[in-house]
Amino acid sequence: MIKKTLLFSNKCSLTTKHEQLVVKSQTRDTTIPIEDIGFIVIDNPEIYISITTLNLLIANNVSVIICNKTHLPNGMFLNLNSHHIQQEIFKHQVEASLPLKKQLWQQTIIEKIKNQGILLEKITQSKNKFDFLAGKVLSGDTSNMEAVAANFYWKSFFEINFKRERFGNYPNNFLNYGYAILRAATARALSGSGLLNTLGIHHKSKYNAFALADDIMEPFRPIIDEAVHTITQHYDEEDLNTEIKSILLQTLTRTVYFKDEKSPLMVALQKTASSLQQCYVGKRKKIKYPKLWN
Amino acid sequence: MELNGYRIMWLFVFFDLPTETAKDRKNASGFRKNILKDGFTMMQYSVYIRHCASSESADVHEKRIKRLLPPLGKVSVLRITDKQFGNIMNFWGRAEVPKEPPPTQLELF
Repeated sequence: MIKKTLLFSNKCSLTTKHEQLVVKSQTRDTTIPIEDIGFIVIDNPEIYISITTLNLLIANNVSVIICNKTHLPNGMFLNLNSHHIQQEIFKHQVEASLPLKKQLWQQTIIEKIKNQGILLEKITQSKNKFDFLAGKVLSGDTSNMEAVAANFYWKSFFEINFKRERFGNYPNNFLNYGYAILRAATARALSGSGLLNTLGIHHKSKYNAFALADDIMEPFRPIIDEAVHTITQHYDEEDLNTEIKSILLQTLTRTVYFKDEKSPLMVALQKTASSLQQCYVGKRKKIKYPKLWN
Repeated sequence: MELNGYRIMWLFVFFDLPTETAKDRKNASGFRKNILKDGFTMMQYSVYIRHCASSESADVHEKRIKRLLPPLGKVSVLRITDKQFGNIMNFWGRAEVPKEPPPTQLELF
């Protein structure tokens, strides 16, 4: 189901009454049903949130995202008990064989490269060889086609001197914000399907608590790239303001296409997550990734 | 499934509940409190509304209302689309009151 996204960037207080979220700010007092909320982004040090509220939010599998001084998402709260047979699903996930994980990673990278290719074709209006690259991805991506594709991709994406860096300059800050939102959405969908976010299929840095989300979000990244590209075309602004944030947050409802149905991104992520869960259990062979463009 | 004005639903709950005995009053206030907990907001006395992002979600809330029904009194549940709800006219005295901004998928505070 489509859930609401709330962005709090001004001073306000978040409390509950009758199990509903009560928002009190200087300009507006409203109540919002907590079960309708999917994401909350808290981006102001002067926001008060009660423990009861946090508890209720987490009980409803809301991803609560906290931003740091530079307004970039810094961390998130997620439910630890979001699925009724979590123990059983975790077990399958922990015991997943290496070949299975390698195959899942291969599928993921193929989808990612294909999506990158389509976006690049849309932007540059010329054919590229990403489909060829996607065809060459091996199990576990041992030949590292991901990096080969990324190299072409970023070179032709923004201007020539753009460098994709974690703490780089504009438009890296926009990309980072977008990816963080996408990551939170993916993590929420995964934990909703009873999967353990910490245990990735490819990412396995010991410092990364959301490795699985980082794996599964890969094919979806071009959605953010597209949004940032559109922003750089239409706005001169180089800092993250509320308008730009709201454009990036709206990518969560952007339509994506499965074989015979279309759904908003956040619903699609849930479908992808549940198909991954079935892959671990052995009921499916393929992760269900949507096409990002029709 | 996409967000649009024909898929978004509004649920209305109208009720007239007896308040003669203490038990009646308890039932009535209990019902009121329970629908508030389900995310309904008061539009007028005994008229409560709720925004539902899809008709499936409206189904869920209709079912919940059925479970919460008090033993006595009249309760009506009405479902309309967001498009229809957009045509509502509100008056306070004779002056028309501007519509409240509808809840959107992304809200900024």
